[in-house]
This record gives sequence, C-alpha cells and structure tokens, in this order.
Amino acid sequence: MALITVRFYSLWRSYLGTDNTTLQVDDVQDALAQLEREFGPRLREKLETAGVHLDGKIQDYSLILLNGIALRNIKSNALKEGDVLHVFPPAIGG
Amino acid sequence: MKSNTADKEIRQFVAESAESHVAPDGKAHLVISLKTTASIVNSKGAPAKEVEIAALKQGIIPCRYLRNIGTVGLDGQIKLLQSTVAVAGAGGLGSTVIELLARQGIGHLIIIDNDCFAEENLNRQIMSTEENFGQYKVIAAAKRVKQVNSATTVTTFQERLTRDNGQSLLSGARVVVDGLDNLSSRMVVEQICRQLAIPYVYASIGGFNGQIMTIFPEDVGLSSLYGSSSDMMPEQGIETRIGNPPATVAMIAALQVQEAVKIIAGVGTPIRNKIVMVDARECTIDRIELGK
Repeated sequence: MALITVRFYSLWRSYLGTDNTTLQVDDVQDALAQLEREFGPRLREKLETAGVHLDGKIQDYSLILLNGIALRNIKSNALKEGDVLHVFPPAIGG
Repeated sequence: MKSNTADKEIRQFVAESAESHVAPDGKAHLVISLKTTASIVNSKGAPAKEVEIAALKQGIIPCRYLRNIGTVGLDGQIKLLQSTVAVAGAGGLGSTVIELLARQGIGHLIIIDNDCFAEENLNRQIMSTEENFGQYKVIAAAKRVKQVNSATTVTTFQERLTRDNGQSLLSGARVVVDGLDNLSSRMVVEQICRQLAIPYVYASIGGFNGQIMTIFPEDVGLSSLYGSSSDMMPEQGIETRIGNPPATVAMIAALQVQEAVKIIAGVGTPIRNKIVMVDARECTIDRIELGK
C-alpha cells in the first residue's frame, strides 16, 4: 500500500470543490477505482447540471498525469509512497 | 543589399530628426515620431523597421515603443524588430497574438491559416467583424498588422500547416506561437519545431481555463500531457461543451506573446518543462512540472 496525493485542476477543481485528496492505494488501477468511487458521481452530477453529459469514468474523460507524465505513457501499474496524480479535463480550444 | 553609405545616411537623418521627450518619471529621452519615421522611409526608401533599428542603435526611441523599453530595453527592442515570429492559426488565440506581437514591434510575422471568418468567431477572434464574414483570416490579419505597425512586415500562407509543408512555412522563425484549435495539428507543429530547433509556445483553452507551455527542442512536450500514441489522444476537449469565451482567449494569448518576447529579448524565464494552468473562474494559477 502507498499513500498518494491526487491534485485536481481547472473545472474539475471547481466542480469537486477541492484541489486535492490523498488515497491509500495498492497500484494505479486501485487508485483510479478509488478516484472514480469517491469523485466520479459528484463530478458527473455537476457536469450534468451544467448541461454537459460525459460517458464513462473520470479516467475516460480526463487527462491524468503521474508525477508529471501522462498516465497513458506509463506501462507499470506500480505506485510508491508520495506519488502524485494530476487530474484535469483536456482543453484543446484556441 | 543596402550600401554602408545608405545606412550611414539613415543613421545621420535619424539623429538629426530626434526630439527630446520627458517621460512621466521626469527622465528625458531622445525619441523619433511616427511621422518623422514615415518621412525618412519616403525620402530614403528604407523600410520602417530599418529606420527604427537605426534609431534604437543610437539610443533614440521610436515613440511607439516608449512604453516597451522599460521591460525589454533598447537591445531587446532591436532584437524584436530583427526577429521573425510564426503564428500557426489566426483564429482565437492566433489573432490576439498577432495583434500584440505587432504592437510589441516584432519585425516580421509569418501567419498561417486556411480558414475564413464565420459568425461564431465574433465572440473572441479580434480580427473578425460584422463586415468580414467569409474573408480569409490571414488577409484580415495582414491588413490589421499594417494598420497597427507599418514596421512589421507580414508573410501569409493561406493553407493548413502539415507535415509536408511545415518545414518550409516555419523556416526562418525565431519562435513559433500556437494559434491552433486541435491536437493533431499541434503535434505536427511541435515535431517540425523540434526538427528546425525553434522554440514553440503551445497554448490551449476551454471555458474559463487555459494552459500554456514553451517547448524548446530539447524539452519535454505535448506527449507528457497527452500521451505518445496518437490513437489514445483526446479528439475533443472540454471547450466543445463549455465554449471559448473572449476573456480566456485574450488572457492566454497575452501570456503566449510574453513568452515569445522573453525568448527573443532574453529577459525573464520561459515556461519550460512545465505546464501552467490558469483558472480565471477561481483566479488560480498552477504549475505542473513535467517529466519524460
């Protein structure tokens, strides 16, 4: 088990009403599952209220970095004490 | 090519035309007015930017840059006038970037966009007007730059930047600034900038939020954010649901211009190997250090 920090940014921070949380997790999959359990329904409810319907789990419609690297680029499932997940919506407009 | 005699003549003419100007802090500066610059351009056939550079090299400040010098210095303003900046995309971010770069006194702008103005652009694309729907954005941008700063020359490319034409379009730029609205084009620009060893000022927005990062050739880049595999990258961002409001565009475009100016003038610290996330709704700015 490892104690990790999850930091929320951008609209997710506003909608969740917090900028960070800590999780006691086994690995990346466990962290994502806990993230979804704890924050997914609240985030989707806020989004629905704002007229935005998004399917799937937080990890499906968010950018997630592990210690500053896209989680998509990380092959290992392992997490260690003190790791940080950064979670925010993709903003691609210009 | 101009002869040394012609250069000397311009320098002499500028020196003779300089006037004294007292700044708000009580300090006196030698300045040259826009009218005098235009007169030298007309009589000597020299480009306006060469006249302005000749003035700055003698410590004479073109009036239009008086409020720039405190941040970039005389040498910095000369470097800006001697530089080319490419703006990829002339829509929301791009058009504000172009306006500010011209006012800053960038010597040459390369503007690339294949799109025309439509009504939904009016909320944020500062070069769109109720009169120019259907006009190519690069044409409106070039016209605007000419109105704002006759010393800034412009090359326009009315085409989409691609892997095939990118090197030829961006070649010669000191900095490339992102005015794009999709991830795949940004990936192309990043790759070409790495090949050409040009710093790339990436930015994107959605709703009240924007993000910005300057990518030098040796730096981490967009793959740290979005992943390396194109089939795993998001097609659309949150902006397709919550929009692109004008103030967010202006806020992030202003930061992009500041990055370009810092790089060229050699002042301050560019946003490298980190993403800066600006949230205007909560008025917060966060930095995330990126890894490879």
